[in-house]
Amino acid sequence: MSDQSKYQQQKQQWETDVDKTTQRFPERKENFVTSSEIPVERIYTPEDASSVSSYEENLGFPGQYPYTRGIQPTMYRSRYWTMRQYAGFGSAEETNKRFRYLLEQGQTGLSVAFDLPTQIGYDSDDPMAEGEVGKVGVAIDSLKDMEKLFDQIPLDKVSTSMTINAPASILLCMYIAVGEKQGVPMEKLTGTIQNDILKEYIARGTYIFPPKPSMRLITNIFGYCQTNVPKFNTISISGYHIREAGSTAVQEVAFTIANGMAYVDAAIESGLEVDQFAPRLAFFFNAHNQFFEEVAKYRAARRIWAKIMKEHYKAENPKSWKLRFHTQTGGSTLTAQQPDNNIVRVTLQALAAVMGGTQSLHTNSRDEALALPTEDSARIALRTQQILANESGVADTIDPLGGSYYVESLTDKIEAEVNDYLERIKKLGGAVQAVEDGYMQREIHQSAYEAQKRIESKEDIIVGMNDFRIDEEINPDLLRVDEALEARQIEQTKNIRESRDQQLIEDCLQNLKQAAQNANENLMPYILEAVKAYATVGEIANVLREEFGEYTGM
Amino acid sequence: MKKQIRALIAKPGLDGHDRGALIIAQALRDHGMEVIYTGLRQSPIQIAQAAIQEDVDVVGLSSLSGAHKSLFPKVVQALKDKGAEDIPVIGGGVIPAEDIAYLEEQGVAKIFTSGTPTEAIANYIEKLVDPDAGLITPPEKIAHIGIAVKQLEAALPFYQDVLGLKLENVEEVASEQVRVAFLKIGETRLELLEPLSEESPIQKHIEKRGEGIHHIALEVDDIHERLEQYRESGVALIHETPKTGAHNSQIAFLHPKAGNGVLYELCQHSEKE
Repeated sequence: MSDQSKYQQQKQQWETDVDKTTQRFPERKENFVTSSEIPVERIYTPEDASSVSSYEENLGFPGQYPYTRGIQPTMYRSRYWTMRQYAGFGSAEETNKRFRYLLEQGQTGLSVAFDLPTQIGYDSDDPMAEGEVGKVGVAIDSLKDMEKLFDQIPLDKVSTSMTINAPASILLCMYIAVGEKQGVPMEKLTGTIQNDILKEYIARGTYIFPPKPSMRLITNIFGYCQTNVPKFNTISISGYHIREAGSTAVQEVAFTIANGMAYVDAAIESGLEVDQFAPRLAFFFNAHNQFFEEVAKYRAARRIWAKIMKEHYKAENPKSWKLRFHTQTGGSTLTAQQPDNNIVRVTLQALAAVMGGTQSLHTNSRDEALALPTEDSARIALRTQQILANESGVADTIDPLGGSYYVESLTDKIEAEVNDYLERIKKLGGAVQAVEDGYMQREIHQSAYEAQKRIESKEDIIVGMNDFRIDEEINPDLLRVDEALEARQIEQTKNIRESRDQQLIEDCLQNLKQAAQNANENLMPYILEAVKAYATVGEIANVLREEFGEYTGM
Repeated sequence: MKKQIRALIAKPGLDGHDRGALIIAQALRDHGMEVIYTGLRQSPIQIAQAAIQEDVDVVGLSSLSGAHKSLFPKVVQALKDKGAEDIPVIGGGVIPAEDIAYLEEQGVAKIFTSGTPTEAIANYIEKLVDPDAGLITPPEKIAHIGIAVKQLEAALPFYQDVLGLKLENVEEVASEQVRVAFLKIGETRLELLEPLSEESPIQKHIEKRGEGIHHIALEVDDIHERLEQYRESGVALIHETPKTGAHNSQIAFLHPKAGNGVLYELCQHSEKE
């Protein structure tokens, strides 16, 4: 008798015995399922963890294909993950102060939040920007603001992640220009731009141009950085916002990888070799509360991506096979009620990300269901990571949950379901087409609505929200963005416009316009020239709007 | 038939977080409303125009970007400028408690904060649009308290002789397989119930719990309407439609889980006594 069938038989016998008990004392639920509706068994045995028996093919060692157990040979034994807190609000000066505070507190990388006008390519004095200036991030209009943002922060020492998508090329050029002024050449700059437009159409909403020219801007960045800014991650393919919009864990991975394949396809079509750009692709995932499903999700994502890059795209450089990712804990899991409970949720989610082998991590602050985090809340969030790293011992061995019957089984199931989705998206004509048809949006909305109904029927309990409530006044100290900031920022931008060389601006913008008309031109050098002349984000984006048109939604 | 409520759900400003807006839109549709969703990036003037064009009964705004203080009042103002101040504006999103009073001062009818069930929002809109629709008429009084007894003759001496209550009448209620005795006490009554067969619900009650209080009957004005209303509020009903009880009254029972384990009877007398 083989081991497999032996376990199977023993388990059947055991289940029969247990059934007698459960007839008298039923379990809490008739069916246990994960967020992705994957059934959860009463117990898992070696027969459920078939990956373990084909160890080399499915798991491998850390730093070895297919990277299920991690992308580096030593993981956190050599260096902890990068603790990278997303921050930004109000003016460049204020955000600069918060950055320097976080660096003093031991944070190891920067992550810039831009306000919505910047993210959508409007200057602060544009009528469309009204009420939004400096609210969800820092307002950047011209290089002047970017200089203030990184004042006294040496760009050769920190790596900077920028959550910027539609105008990613403009902000990256500003970063390059600031580096130049600090005497740091662009080949030494490290960091990441999000630059993932597809998930903006799907879930996040800060698109400007239609998909086709947007894909061109992205591949222009790939092409330019490959030779000029080789240490910069040129894209962060993001499942984070897809999950926040209400997707399941499986959908998060599936849609992210489908988008990733669309970028690879576009880059290859633009004439790049896969191994030229693929090593600089990065990913960005969410961490929600269902601990084991999250850990399995990261492991599955690594294995799926490695197989796709090696087998489908025939990449030869192992760096092209590795899925490197940033994680942020789940904003939508936080409650406005009893906000201190959120510290516990964030701890659990951060632990899942670390067990899943993340390269960098943002932990949310307890007050984020109410407003932007205060300095106290942001510090507790950072301390949460530091406690995990320094006190818990969880970082001392690699992939400690590998080999768990349950986690291996979940990893396999997630992989299988993701592959089903990828097949469906392929049949729809690929991710870009699926996005334009609204397929992913509908799938996500359906999951979000079902989750809401489970909460309202109390099938899902959210502590402090639909159960375990207390009478409380939800009014902790919140961070308020100064309402007068908008007027000040507008004033400053007006001054910039008056003090710069107007003829130079017009020439730069004219050159950019002509380059945009030629689909074979890389726009990066033109944008860099315009940025250096202090052309604003809005001015540059408007030139491109005229050439590319605007995306108006479904 | 009730007029269908039309609602406009709108995203003012540049905020792209529309999970909440989409969920509210779908929940209101599931509540039978017609919902128009504007999509992202709408200016206050565009929203007011859409509200008027679509002839909606209510406008719901969602913002998670912190721009609510500037944008929500502008929508109220834009409606006023176009002579449509009768269309109420409600809102939600990430809105700190201290901003709510300000927004209400500026003419926003109501702000719903994070964690509000969609049901509560739908009910609020229904009442906002038609203030009489959801008006709850409470039961008028306790019609009687029903007490299960094994035998009327054995029980009556305590009520008649010791307490001195007046026996009004004794009758059989065939539908429930019981014989009942009514004793008047103030403006209400005690109802003693004796089972007439093994199938009588009172017999089952006595077997399970012994003699004692069986139910409380609430006098209502319009039993059909009350049952309809309770059902819509999600109350479990034992009888979906009324049946005939003692004194030719119309009666119906609510499920005990609605009333913390108490069995409530609704009763409407054929003529007011």
